[in-house]
Amino acid sequence: MGGSSDLVTVRGRVTRSDADDVTEEDGPVQASTPIARRMAWAGRSTVAGIVLRRARDGAITLVLVIVVIFVLTNVVGNPALVYAPVDASDAEIARIEAAFGLDRPFLERFGDYFAGIFRGDFGNSNWQQRPAIDAVLEALPATIQLSILGIAGAAFFGIVGGVLAGARPNSRLDRVTNFLSIGALSVPNFWLGLLLIFVFAVRLGWLPTSGRIGWNSIILPAATLAIVHGGRIFQLVRSATVEEMSKPYVRVARSKGFSDRQVLTRHVLRNTGLTTATIAGWEYVRMWGGAAFAIEFVFAWPGIGTLMINAAHRQDFFILQAAVIVAGAFVIVSNLIIDLMYRAIDRRVGAA
Amino acid sequence: MSIVIRDLHTATVAPSSAHRAVAAVRKQLWLVCPLFLMVIVLWAVAPGWFAPLDPERIDPRNRLVSPLTATEAGRHWAGTDQLGIDLFSAMVHGARLTLLVAVAATLIGACIGVIVGLLSGYFSGWVDRLLMRLTEAQTAMPMFLVAILLLSMLGPSVLILIIVLPTLVWPIFGRVVRAETLKVRESSYIEAAVATGCTTRAVITRHVLPNVMPRILVLMVIETGHVMLAEAGLSFLGVGVQPPDTTWGLLIADGRPLLTVAWWLTILPGVLLGLTVLCLNILSRRFETRAGAAG
Repeated sequence: MGGSSDLVTVRGRVTRSDADDVTEEDGPVQASTPIARRMAWAGRSTVAGIVLRRARDGAITLVLVIVVIFVLTNVVGNPALVYAPVDASDAEIARIEAAFGLDRPFLERFGDYFAGIFRGDFGNSNWQQRPAIDAVLEALPATIQLSILGIAGAAFFGIVGGVLAGARPNSRLDRVTNFLSIGALSVPNFWLGLLLIFVFAVRLGWLPTSGRIGWNSIILPAATLAIVHGGRIFQLVRSATVEEMSKPYVRVARSKGFSDRQVLTRHVLRNTGLTTATIAGWEYVRMWGGAAFAIEFVFAWPGIGTLMINAAHRQDFFILQAAVIVAGAFVIVSNLIIDLMYRAIDRRVGAA
Repeated sequence: MSIVIRDLHTATVAPSSAHRAVAAVRKQLWLVCPLFLMVIVLWAVAPGWFAPLDPERIDPRNRLVSPLTATEAGRHWAGTDQLGIDLFSAMVHGARLTLLVAVAATLIGACIGVIVGLLSGYFSGWVDRLLMRLTEAQTAMPMFLVAILLLSMLGPSVLILIIVLPTLVWPIFGRVVRAETLKVRESSYIEAAVATGCTTRAVITRHVLPNVMPRILVLMVIETGHVMLAEAGLSFLGVGVQPPDTTWGLLIADGRPLLTVAWWLTILPGVLLGLTVLCLNILSRRFETRAGAAG
């Protein structure tokens, strides 16, 4: 992760304190924590070094995720209580615990669970009567498909709008788009999905309300994600553009007689491109933090979110655990790829 | 941010008097936000005063009445649901729990985040590395899913919700406070405080914290909005607040099956929630520009 998330942190805008943290070498997103800075230095020598270091960090985070999930489900809650009827006596609960092996020492159970994960065994779903991981992997492609289409739409609207608005701060276009994007950030995403269903499926009848049958059923859920996340990408890209436009070289280019469009395409866009790509990358990771799953449920999109809600209502822990860990692994791998891609592009830019 | 402000001032063109009047009104337009939020807070404090009808009063003869229709019970500003319950009254009564959960969870999250941020910003070294590692691990976790997992295990309730929701926001507070603390730590008054023999604890609580406070407050306003949306999401998915308690998110969920016949049951609570979060966002943005201009 590094300090890269600082940009995302102060939701909606690149603030002054972030800008102050920027060092001339590392670009605006990277080196805002000492660790990230040190690692950027240490890994500078070899590509393999960076990849290994980041992979190791990712692995540590994944183990942490698994530990936390296991502790939460087994110490904070007691799985046996879920299987037991409401009026079960202590003896009955003890019998259930014994049947599921829950009466063994905590560390032993964790060891078993952890070893199981490495063999791809996340336990058996008592709802679907099959390995939990199968159900999760079956749902994963639908979630990936939806989230990629959603982020593509969000990046398109966010970047085009953000650059145009940021190029002329406080113009009418800027004010209108800025307000729209704050609006997009403020409405509940699942509600936005319902609104789109109401307008485009119920009233106009152009698109199906839900499900994943036919090519056009993905349009509404993807559009919902694109609006919600496009709003935030817009905010970040806009402030990055505004900041870039105020730099001295822009004034120099203007005084040389370049038109606004030339300044924008030849200079500003080239310099903000890297930041923009990273912003879109982080936003994709963020989508996996929440919105995508609620949207899936609204549109009955058969992905991980819908699976998890159904599993939650049936108290199926193994599916819940497996889904969170798989989603966590996906987030960690995405983080890793974005980070490495950023470095790869940065290197080329630096060398040129 | 300072750049944006400078542009704001230089970009104004010499205006006509009509323009100036419009601009003056527009400049004060943001005042609508605190007013709106005040109304919502009043709803939360004394719902009985503001709700025209009892939100538990069932009226079988006036089911699914569309908004603005008047019946013998009074005017239903936001229509009624399938039991004839007045939606506007339900929304007024829902304000209390919506606000309570959001504010309580944000406060708890802010406390955790501020402590983590102060410690890791003030003591660099292993404390910093450990705490930042934790924050990073937390950010990598799909917290919304973890929240679903936790709530379905422990059984959804308001209390559990207030315990689970802060996990979504504390890393943000941690990171921002840490960055601010790093800056404040270098200033000469901290050096002076240390030199005059203040204990570390006194330096942090009396000198560092007050200087970081403005940023924390701005962040709290934004995050309250985010927590509100998260709570609505969890309640909507059925793992948050449970009936008979009501929040706006739950009202949206209740209206969802009737979307095709009674749109207002779904759309209007969402509009209310969206406007509240919008006001919080606009307000925090305003504070932020102010803080930026001052500092």
